[in-house]
Amino acid sequence: MRVTITIFLKELKDTLRDRRTLFAMILAPILVFPVMITLSVNLMKSQVKKAEDKVLRIGLESAGNAADIRDSLLARSDMRVVEDLDVDRMKHLIQTDSLDAALVFSSDFDTQIESHHEGSVQLLHKSAEAFSTARTKLRELLSAYERRVVSARFKDLRVDEAITSAMEIQHVDISTRQEKFGKVIGGFLPYIFVLFCFMGCMYPAIDLGAGEKERGTLETLLSSPATRMQILLGKFGVIVLTGITSAIVSVLGLYASVRLAVQLPPMIQEMVSGLLQISSLLMVISLLVPLTIFFAALLLSFSIYARSFKEAQSIISPLTLLIIIPVFIGLIPGIKLNGVTALIPILNVSLASREILSGTISYPLLAEVYASLIVLAAAGLTGCAKWFGREQTIFRST
Amino acid sequence: MIEVASLTKTFSLSRKQKRELGGGRNNSSVDALRDISFTCKPGRVFALLGPNGAGKTTALRIIATMLQPTSGTVRVCDLDTGRDPHLVRSCLGVLTGQTGLYDRLTPTEMVRYFADLNGMDRDHFEQRRRHLFERLDMEDFADRRIGRLSTGMRQKVSIARTVIHAPEVIVFDEPTAGLDAVTSRNIVQLVRDSREAGKTIIFSTHRMGEVDQLSDDVAIVHKGALLYNGTYSDFKTGMQAPTLEDEFVRLIEEVDR
Repeated sequence: MRVTITIFLKELKDTLRDRRTLFAMILAPILVFPVMITLSVNLMKSQVKKAEDKVLRIGLESAGNAADIRDSLLARSDMRVVEDLDVDRMKHLIQTDSLDAALVFSSDFDTQIESHHEGSVQLLHKSAEAFSTARTKLRELLSAYERRVVSARFKDLRVDEAITSAMEIQHVDISTRQEKFGKVIGGFLPYIFVLFCFMGCMYPAIDLGAGEKERGTLETLLSSPATRMQILLGKFGVIVLTGITSAIVSVLGLYASVRLAVQLPPMIQEMVSGLLQISSLLMVISLLVPLTIFFAALLLSFSIYARSFKEAQSIISPLTLLIIIPVFIGLIPGIKLNGVTALIPILNVSLASREILSGTISYPLLAEVYASLIVLAAAGLTGCAKWFGREQTIFRST
Repeated sequence: MIEVASLTKTFSLSRKQKRELGGGRNNSSVDALRDISFTCKPGRVFALLGPNGAGKTTALRIIATMLQPTSGTVRVCDLDTGRDPHLVRSCLGVLTGQTGLYDRLTPTEMVRYFADLNGMDRDHFEQRRRHLFERLDMEDFADRRIGRLSTGMRQKVSIARTVIHAPEVIVFDEPTAGLDAVTSRNIVQLVRDSREAGKTIIFSTHRMGEVDQLSDDVAIVHKGALLYNGTYSDFKTGMQAPTLEDEFVRLIEEVDR
């Protein structure tokens, strides 16, 4: 144990003196959320403001109909109306962003309205537009007109407008706020935690395996009285620690940025703060521990196999994609934690974390996730130990 | 003392290695060492001489317990390398051409790390460290990061790391490879000092000059087989070629023929 601790402390000191590891382990995870939140909130605000302030160019083909609507459009300061264009021309102008939207009234629009029928109007727009401000504003304008017409018709018929409503449906959502938002954001957070866990392990694993081999220090270490298991455990401890630290730091970064972000809308702030309860976060981190052990075993095995730092990087980098896939599956609506998904590595962490953050975790399923992760971690560690003991791995030449 | 008896080491070949060794080759393994035996005695310097790929490093790695022999036995400090590998490593110091140092540690930290791995207590370590750092003239850069040191300084750190626990047996694997004449002198001095202190020293090289300068006993290996094993003075006496180098080449070519 003394030798393992000696190796662990030395590897830790060595790792903490490496700027690249510090960046991957602490700086990147702590900065990612504040930067992401600040950037996205500011960008969103500025885009919304830009869209709101913009004078919309609206095409109008009324064929002498809908004088009310035409007057309303012309009276608005946020819209500039372009008339006397045919429909194809208007479509082309919308397509090329020279117009924001257009209204095309049928030639019998007024006749239809007067005879208590439906008047036909086309709203031309591009659904690919980010904010659809023009469409929204025109719809509001048309809806207001429609309400006025319908109201007048009821009045003509001397019928109370309320007769059209036979029933009032009241939606009573009994989900807690934590549950409601946990299902949405709770799926995204594990994605970040798992990814940081993996990335936090990646660089130290490469450095402590292939890096040592390349520098010739592994051979020096193997010639010391330390056994291979002691060497492996010492290195392993550091890799697991950096992975967990990375995940914890990313959680702290998120927590701090939500608490301190002044620009964040209060509702979102309250919602995320509700999700990030200490007990839930601790439970999520406890799930990440066995997963990180597995990651460390996997990464160290590949790293030890590689002959150089560069080779290890080229072997390990594609693994990031393999990690993302199960986490991504966990984001798909309808995929739930059950007896089967609780056994699938990474996906089970993603789904269980979502349930934990939502406050709806089933404890028997959580126990199954823990059991599956512990078996996975033990298998990973055993495999790595066997791999590390092989002469062909340590002294691999070609 | 190192006693190597009937040592054989066979490596399995990877698919790539088989391909590189040429078509038609059905063997899935290669013998790196074939039934070699020799003894290195305390207070003497044993040179393991051979061309590149002869099996020198494999032999030294087996002595240092990094590799397991396929057959045969190796005893170091009266301990069987197969049975008590970690006790064997306690009485060993290994130095290779690659300095094997951690760039982000200081020389003091590096040497302390290996002292700790060897179970040295603090007082004993401090005493040995002071002695070695003074002797190797390392005090000025003792607390500077190794990554910022010159090749010569790094070599000194490597020496201090190798002998901090005062090992009975010192293994040098091509220790002067890639070093200039001035830096190599540190190694040569270490070998001489260790011999005077009664240590058992084995070193591998393909440089005849080093053999001539340092060795008491010599073994020549080629393609995993032992071509000569005896004292260096006997080797010189029995030479059939005019120079040491010519004699070495003659022996190698005789086998290749």
